[in-house]
Amino acid sequence: MKKFVALFLALTLTCGLAACGGGNGSGDSGSTNDDSGSSAAEDSTDTTDEGGSDEQAAINVIAAQYGQNTTKWWADFVKDFTTEYPNIDLTVEVESWNDIYTVVNTRISNNDAPDILNIDVFANYQADDLLLPAEDFVSKETYDKMYPAFLEQSDVDGTIWAIPDLASARALYYNADILEAANVEVPTTWDELTEACKAIKEYDSKIYPWGIDMTTDEGQAAFAYYTWNNGGGFVDDDGNWALNSAENVEAIKYAVSLVNDGYTNSDPSNDTRYDLQDMFGAGQVAMMIGPNSIPTYIADGGYSINYEVAPIPTNGGNDSVSAGVMDRFMCFDNGYSDAELDAIKTFFDYFYEDERYSDWVLMEGFLPATSTGGEILAEADESMASWVDIVGSCKFYPTAKTEWDDVKQGVINVEQQALLGGDVQELLDELQAEIAE
Amino acid sequence: MAKKPLTLKNAVLRTLLYLVVIIVCVVTLYPYFAMVCTALKSRAEIFSMNGTILPIHALWSNFIDIWSRAPMANYMLNSLLIAGGSTVIAMLCGIPAAYALARMKFKGQTAFLGFVIVSQMFAPVVLLIGIYKVMSILTLTDSIIGLIFINAAFNQAFTIWLLRGTFMGISPEMEQAATIDGCNRIQGMTKVLLPVAAPGIVTTLIFIFINAWNEYTVALCLISTSEREPLTVGINVFNGYNMIEWQYLFAASLFAIVPVVILFMCIEKNLVSGLASGGVKG
Amino acid sequence: MKNKFFRKVEPYIWILPSIILMAVFILIPIIFVFRMSLSDVSKAGIIKGFSGLANFTKVLNSSAFKLVLKNTIVWTVSVVCLSTILGFILALILNNEFRGRKIARAIMVFPWATTLVIQASAWKFIIDTDYGTLNTLLLRLGIIEQSVNWTPTPEAYFMWEIACGIFVTIPFVTFCVLSGLQSIDSTYYEAATVDGANYWQKLFQITLPLVKSSLTVSTVLNIIYVFNSFPIIWTITKGDPANHTDTLVTYLYKLAFYNGKQGQAAAVSVIGFLILLVCSSVYMVYTLRKGDD
Repeated sequence: MKKFVALFLALTLTCGLAACGGGNGSGDSGSTNDDSGSSAAEDSTDTTDEGGSDEQAAINVIAAQYGQNTTKWWADFVKDFTTEYPNIDLTVEVESWNDIYTVVNTRISNNDAPDILNIDVFANYQADDLLLPAEDFVSKETYDKMYPAFLEQSDVDGTIWAIPDLASARALYYNADILEAANVEVPTTWDELTEACKAIKEYDSKIYPWGIDMTTDEGQAAFAYYTWNNGGGFVDDDGNWALNSAENVEAIKYAVSLVNDGYTNSDPSNDTRYDLQDMFGAGQVAMMIGPNSIPTYIADGGYSINYEVAPIPTNGGNDSVSAGVMDRFMCFDNGYSDAELDAIKTFFDYFYEDERYSDWVLMEGFLPATSTGGEILAEADESMASWVDIVGSCKFYPTAKTEWDDVKQGVINVEQQALLGGDVQELLDELQAEIAE
Repeated sequence: MAKKPLTLKNAVLRTLLYLVVIIVCVVTLYPYFAMVCTALKSRAEIFSMNGTILPIHALWSNFIDIWSRAPMANYMLNSLLIAGGSTVIAMLCGIPAAYALARMKFKGQTAFLGFVIVSQMFAPVVLLIGIYKVMSILTLTDSIIGLIFINAAFNQAFTIWLLRGTFMGISPEMEQAATIDGCNRIQGMTKVLLPVAAPGIVTTLIFIFINAWNEYTVALCLISTSEREPLTVGINVFNGYNMIEWQYLFAASLFAIVPVVILFMCIEKNLVSGLASGGVKG
Repeated sequence: MKNKFFRKVEPYIWILPSIILMAVFILIPIIFVFRMSLSDVSKAGIIKGFSGLANFTKVLNSSAFKLVLKNTIVWTVSVVCLSTILGFILALILNNEFRGRKIARAIMVFPWATTLVIQASAWKFIIDTDYGTLNTLLLRLGIIEQSVNWTPTPEAYFMWEIACGIFVTIPFVTFCVLSGLQSIDSTYYEAATVDGANYWQKLFQITLPLVKSSLTVSTVLNIIYVFNSFPIIWTITKGDPANHTDTLVTYLYKLAFYNGKQGQAAAVSVIGFLILLVCSSVYMVYTLRKGDD
């Protein structure tokens, strides 16, 4: 036994030492990361000494993981970029959406913000004066490529603080075979939707006519789909929070009634959009509102259903509104030297080069945020062209407002409370009061 | 072999025993059975409305694909380093402390034991920001060594408390005898006490190893270079924004269990023999 | 003289490595949490200044907090109690000699050797109404005719989470008790058998008192670990719907990283800490008084 314990200790010890060795060895490459922070600080104090463009500069980027290809895409990007600009030391850290907020907040709390961040929100960072204005870190040429409507989404007090990296838009997807078998038309209004659900339920009680997601993951999307298409929304025309408007109450009541009538998936507070997409692919869900990436999802999953896309059903004669989701790049103000700022601009110029950029967008089936990228994609693929049109006209979440986090969690909470039998009007009144505080 | 400690002689009880063991094993293994089946299916089959228990077309390639889709071997190695290193550090720090608590009297003993417990009262999720701060001061962010120290620290409580209990359960006479024979304290501990305390030590080893092997939250925040990620963090590759690749996630996780079970089975053999030698002590 | 001094200092040298390890890597971060809980923290996570107990009053006044606290207590008590009882019984069983014991023990390690996130994902997969493997299994075996919704209410979800928690905690208890059982000298039992003691008498008079120390340690640590457990609930429900399955840790995680209220999150963790502290102090006073002079 003694011998064994000794053996184990020896074994683990060698592991431990190897770890130390490995850590130290690779520490060289890692330390460049650490150094970048300190050298940035130093440089900011004595930039006057030197400012040549051939000076070494290090940039670190935290990027969101959009899918399986993202990590590889960035790795290739770094390789190509470093070959072309050997004096710029670029590191890109890809984080999954589950964890990226944890990682970023931890870093920011320790005054160790990344130089460039690719994420969905920016207002909280801007509110703490952590960001540089977009015009400071993107070259004019690249900046002008972007759709103005997208840039406006990052506007606080007349300054643009972040630039869009990609977008997606939502629409109604329906299983054409099921609708045909149940003998119903594609619904365009809520009344038609209810009727269609009823007919599908009668045709086959095992099928869920309508997919609905009110989870912590993306419950705010459901809020947007129903309220926007009922003439309501998160904010009023002046941009003030208007969460408890009559339209919103009606919209949420309608959504909850679909659940209570048994027309939807059994557990909207826990079935995420991915669950729904898979169930849609499997023919279990007949209709759902989803992003433009669904075709890729269905194809990759090996599903074989016959599906079509249509506008999201509306109520009260309102025009159908598509929900847009847009993610961003932002640049933290880490006291850059001129050389570093140039390096950052170079990074963005390189990233938004039309061909590379359309490759980025296509990689996971998203939509472009630059007009030049949009043109290329629209030419290459007709179905993409219609999406490019849709995304140009859709509504976005009010992410430029600092209360957005609370509103987002708030509306999800309201939806889930309503599913448990809570009074929608009361709940929304409470939320509005809380937010307006 | 030592004599049977508690034996159920009755044949009925014996059958009952087997029955219970079998039921427990089946229930325990069921989630793994489900994981294996899922790992062998395509996504279309996983979510099929007419699901089957076993995959219709077993995709053994899923188990191979993950090795090319992610640097699994690298992740595994990192996890081994982290778990092994944490175990060593935790034991090196924990054994002397437990020994002192069991064999010596000193002021602040209770306070120390209390502190050990208090150190466990915050979930690592809560401490993340502080841990990161300490690590950046020590320039140990993004390093495996940093993770080893963190894991070792978080496992001190269990190490100290369990070993203290084990040591206290062993009479100090033999060590005292050894001291008379000219051994110093350290020799007395390593040569006399530790071999007898083997079962407790082995349990502690397994515990620390498994905990460090499974640690996720701290590794996630500290490690930013993908070459240094442990398995738990690395397999996030299969957990994207647009889709979660359940079959790959489960296949990778099944591989992650293998080293732990192998380690356990090796130790288990010695645990029993350690027992036998432990029995001789009286 | 020197010898006397050394003997006084010696114990502290023995515990020093451990103290340094914990002080640096745990105590300092803990102090940081306390500071956060008393600070005004911006949404991006930067400390703006001292705010007294504002974070605490905000947390205590929020409507969800009571529910979350109740859930945490239910979760901790049921997982710890049931897993301790079941784990203890299992240890007794596995301590018998029987064919296949080695395999049975190795199998028992599985739930423990699996990362909690994955374990919980597997459970989520098993109990799902629409594509869950449990429904498939029962359907194919002809036990049920229609898919069963195993989680019709938030309470049902919570029950499953508790079951999953028990499932992963049992091995820990079992092996703690087993290690205690195995260091029991078999001569005790022989003597008792000679005295004509039956199985239950031996169990209660010899086994229980002797494994008490390893059992109490595992229980106290278990309470703390389960209280602070995060991945199971996070993976299966994220505390949904509307905080009905939240415990303090998942609640504060949402506060910190979804709502950008790190000050309040720190306050929640301090409250949780105080609860644990009170509970374990009671235990300390009760069992450890003899430890100090």
